[in-house]
Amino acid sequence: MSLPLSRTRDLVAALRRARGADDPMPPRERLPPVPLPPERVFPSPRRRSRIAEAAAAHTTALVGIGAVGTRYATDVVLQFQAELAVAHAAVATELPPAWADTNQYASVVSRVTDHRQFLLRPDLGRRLSEESATRWAATCRKDVDVQPILADGLSAVATMGAGPTLMAAFIAECEARGMSVGTPVCAKFARVWLQDEIGQLARAKVAAILLGERPGLGTGDGLSAYLVFGPQLGRTDGNRNMMSNIHARGIPPADAARRLAVLAQLMLEQRTSGVELDLAPRAAELGEAARGGYRPPVARARLVEV
Amino acid sequence: MPVLEALLPKVLSVRRLPGADPALLRAYGADPERHRALGLITVDQDDPAYVALDEATKHANVDVVFARSFYAGSRHASGPLSGEFLGVIASDDPAEVDSGLDAILETLAHDACFYGANADSSIAVFPHVIASLGRYLSAIAGLAPGDPMAYLVAPPMEATIALDFALKAAKVRLVKAFPPPTETNFAASWLTGDLPSCEAAAMAFAAAVCDVAAQPRER
Repeated sequence: MSLPLSRTRDLVAALRRARGADDPMPPRERLPPVPLPPERVFPSPRRRSRIAEAAAAHTTALVGIGAVGTRYATDVVLQFQAELAVAHAAVATELPPAWADTNQYASVVSRVTDHRQFLLRPDLGRRLSEESATRWAATCRKDVDVQPILADGLSAVATMGAGPTLMAAFIAECEARGMSVGTPVCAKFARVWLQDEIGQLARAKVAAILLGERPGLGTGDGLSAYLVFGPQLGRTDGNRNMMSNIHARGIPPADAARRLAVLAQLMLEQRTSGVELDLAPRAAELGEAARGGYRPPVARARLVEV
Repeated sequence: MPVLEALLPKVLSVRRLPGADPALLRAYGADPERHRALGLITVDQDDPAYVALDEATKHANVDVVFARSFYAGSRHASGPLSGEFLGVIASDDPAEVDSGLDAILETLAHDACFYGANADSSIAVFPHVIASLGRYLSAIAGLAPGDPMAYLVAPPMEATIALDFALKAAKVRLVKAFPPPTETNFAASWLTGDLPSCEAAAMAFAAAVCDVAAQPRER
């Protein structure tokens, strides 16, 4: 408790507050005038070093892109932001509920209930919802060689883009090689391991899931394919063979479909998959996938013109 | 620095003479018959010191025998201990002088002080309200001990304009005016009325001084 020591001091303090001068902070100092930046900076064009040029010829990674002072050039920053935006948009896209029906696929959904949960709970994306499991077990073709599954994964954009093409080509290739193919199914909110349960319920020898892959910079349209022999709950990544970068700038879908069919054929022949699978017998048909040879990089598509 | 910041008075020296020479007592206005002990004080603000001396007469049996401001104020003092004011209180009992000095120091430390009327406090205002006069100022003002009084000081222009505002702000009466030049070249005025009126007048005076400081030239 403060005693009223001085009536006059209290009155003056009240007057000071009333005049709005009771600010404990000192008055703001005026900033010195800052000259405006030039409207546009034209950096003097410089040749890239030989090392930078050689490196850039080997990869689509952002190497040898130069700098302005300590920063990236505006063009580089804009391309980066645009490519990141493409990736963000791809992850954020959700497969429309009627999409499977429109494309005449059977439809299943994982235990995930909404998109946010799909991103946060991979475990729920690896199991079918009870309703889906019951319906799938009741309606699917059983005892097939290959069970094809199209799924959204982390890029529904890619699924809706090249997905049906790849699916159709894959089914055609399998049938051409004399394999029986199960009911084409589309899975929503799916992670790779969902193929185990779907394949198990269909008693398929090989389950193949084609799904949108985690987008990289500028590649929101990439698909991946995972094949497993003897699908059943509990299979690990060691039991799977996969192919990534199925898009226009990577492996074209038609090419990928043929190689995936060859993989499935290999699995049926050797009755195994994953690390135990020997690719050598059909190396010629698998092409570079079996060899892992050099493939020249495809130039990055410019997303923004400056 | 915000406006109306307190500018605390500095007490520059405090001395006592328990048994002063009668000649000295007479020279400084004391009565050797009634007074024996003196208490002397110099301050760098004169008007808070007058208020403080008056306060002493309410707390101890002392008389204010001498209180003068020095010419041109404390910025032109004759020495580091001079300030702009010398005050002398007297009593026949040195203990009374001691309690009187206590009251003076207490008032100067915690009550009476000038306030800055502009941002750098180069203009000072003294809008002091005395709730109850002591024997010293009441005698000079011609009021009764215990009356309230507004003791208003500012530089000449500010004080003149602000006095008009103060007189019109409440039901108060001008008791005494000290138009410039005074010793310190400030201008002062004493107003009386009931206590709330004195308070309203003093605050109107302080606000008006700030306004004049903010806009010194109307043309």
